[in-house]
Amino acid sequence: MSGKPSPLGPDDITSDSPFTLPGFFDALGEGRLLGAACADCGETLVPPRPACSACGSRSVSVEEQPRTGRVVSYTAVHTPPPAFVEEAPYTVAIVELDSGARVTGRLEADYEDVAIDDPVELTVREPDEALRERSLSYETDWPLHVFEPR
Amino acid sequence: MPDPQIVSVGLSPVGRTDLTGRDLFSVALAEAFEELPDPAEVVEALYVGNQSERYEHQIMTGTLLAEWAGLQDVPAERVEGCAAAGAMALRHAVEDVRTGRHDAVLAAGVEKMTAGGTGGATTSLSAAFDRALEQRSGITAPSQYALLARRYMHEHGVTERDLAEIAVKNHANGAKNPRAQFQKEVDLDTVLESDYVAPPFKLFDCAPVGDGGAAVLVTTDELATDLVDDPTVSVSGAAAAAHNIAVANRNLTFPEGAAATAERAYAQAGVGPTDVDVAEVHDAFTVCEALLSEAAGFAPRGRGIECALPPGERSEGWTDVHLSTSGGLKARGHPIGATGLAQAVEAYEQLTGRAGDRQVDGAETAFLLNEGGVADAVTVTHVLEA
Repeated sequence: MSGKPSPLGPDDITSDSPFTLPGFFDALGEGRLLGAACADCGETLVPPRPACSACGSRSVSVEEQPRTGRVVSYTAVHTPPPAFVEEAPYTVAIVELDSGARVTGRLEADYEDVAIDDPVELTVREPDEALRERSLSYETDWPLHVFEPR
Repeated sequence: MPDPQIVSVGLSPVGRTDLTGRDLFSVALAEAFEELPDPAEVVEALYVGNQSERYEHQIMTGTLLAEWAGLQDVPAERVEGCAAAGAMALRHAVEDVRTGRHDAVLAAGVEKMTAGGTGGATTSLSAAFDRALEQRSGITAPSQYALLARRYMHEHGVTERDLAEIAVKNHANGAKNPRAQFQKEVDLDTVLESDYVAPPFKLFDCAPVGDGGAAVLVTTDELATDLVDDPTVSVSGAAAAAHNIAVANRNLTFPEGAAATAERAYAQAGVGPTDVDVAEVHDAFTVCEALLSEAAGFAPRGRGIECALPPGERSEGWTDVHLSTSGGLKARGHPIGATGLAQAVEAYEQLTGRAGDRQVDGAETAFLLNEGGVADAVTVTHVLEA
């Protein structure tokens, strides 16, 4: 027998498991960004999910992700959805964390000051009033991940 | 096994209209059935491509449009895959006919995008992105594709001017298409001087918001000969594939899901990219035509940006395909749920010699690529032959 994790059973998938969004955001609120690491192909995916989309394996385990990474690509939103209009223009980026996992998020920097490969760091924000207002009932306490230049 | 045929097509005007979704469908259906018996005498099933009930607060689109077509007690359902919904409807129709489930199936697509203004469309479209991390960050359709464009520019030395050339080319094509939302040419400066939406994209890098309805009738080859005297178009290849929802987990400069889906449709049809005379690919944003030219096998890796050049002026390794002769999503328009079928309308017209001033001489094989979500989150491809 290998030491690989078994596929999740129905009883494993509860709201305190990071394999669900409530569990993922609870951990994020405590400052831990969690991903699913695939025991078969090595892919790391954020947020965690019960199967690896790269190879199909369900042999996945939760791993805390590093907070640091680099900008893979970036842009600025000039024409936001109406619920975000007060915040525009804002910069968004795809960041590759030092683990290899990639995450899209806000980047707290002016678009003109950003370049591909810039080093950035993940921060976690409590939801502000604007974020709460555009949240669904079960999302209101979920924190927001924001990248900052480092 | 039956050889599915496109027997007739219809497309409403595309753009800002005073018609509702069902009315746009009625216009498309009326055109498609101008020379045919009543739909009730022919159509055995209906699929409707439709992005969002948010525009008109209406679901049950299958039932509604079946009723408006005079169809009773036939299977009728909506299919959803954001901007790929139209081609999803077409593929279901084609596969139902190919496998012998039905002899005649109507594929329809409809979207009333202008109902809530640009803000409403922006919000509705953002639902196509991952709720967990992307939507919460305020990501929009232009910014998602801008993330692809910025990386593509970085890896291949492409400039905003290069991207603008694609918009100029597709507007020139749209100027020759009486069905296009924008039937006018634009020059490079107009594109380059338009306002930023999500850099590197400016307004003229983006397909417009618009209303539209489309209808495509697919039947067996046997029924096709009974229904019409004119030549019909064979759908020899059809494929679909869901890739993944969050763009961060994607190859940003080569849409692998789109490439796999293209290969599958080619294999089913027994053709290759060099056989394709005309292609409509999903140019929702200028960079898409470059990325998808590579995914469809028309261009060597990293040289897709030459899609703005006419066949013969592109570098070694490119095919002689004519791209987005309709004007593409950029100029013909992009009424989300109807877009995949609007692509089929252009292919049908090209392959039956009905394309007027934009007719490609001797066009015999067409390739269609329709995407939903950001880029190849989901892809649907078709090969059509005269």
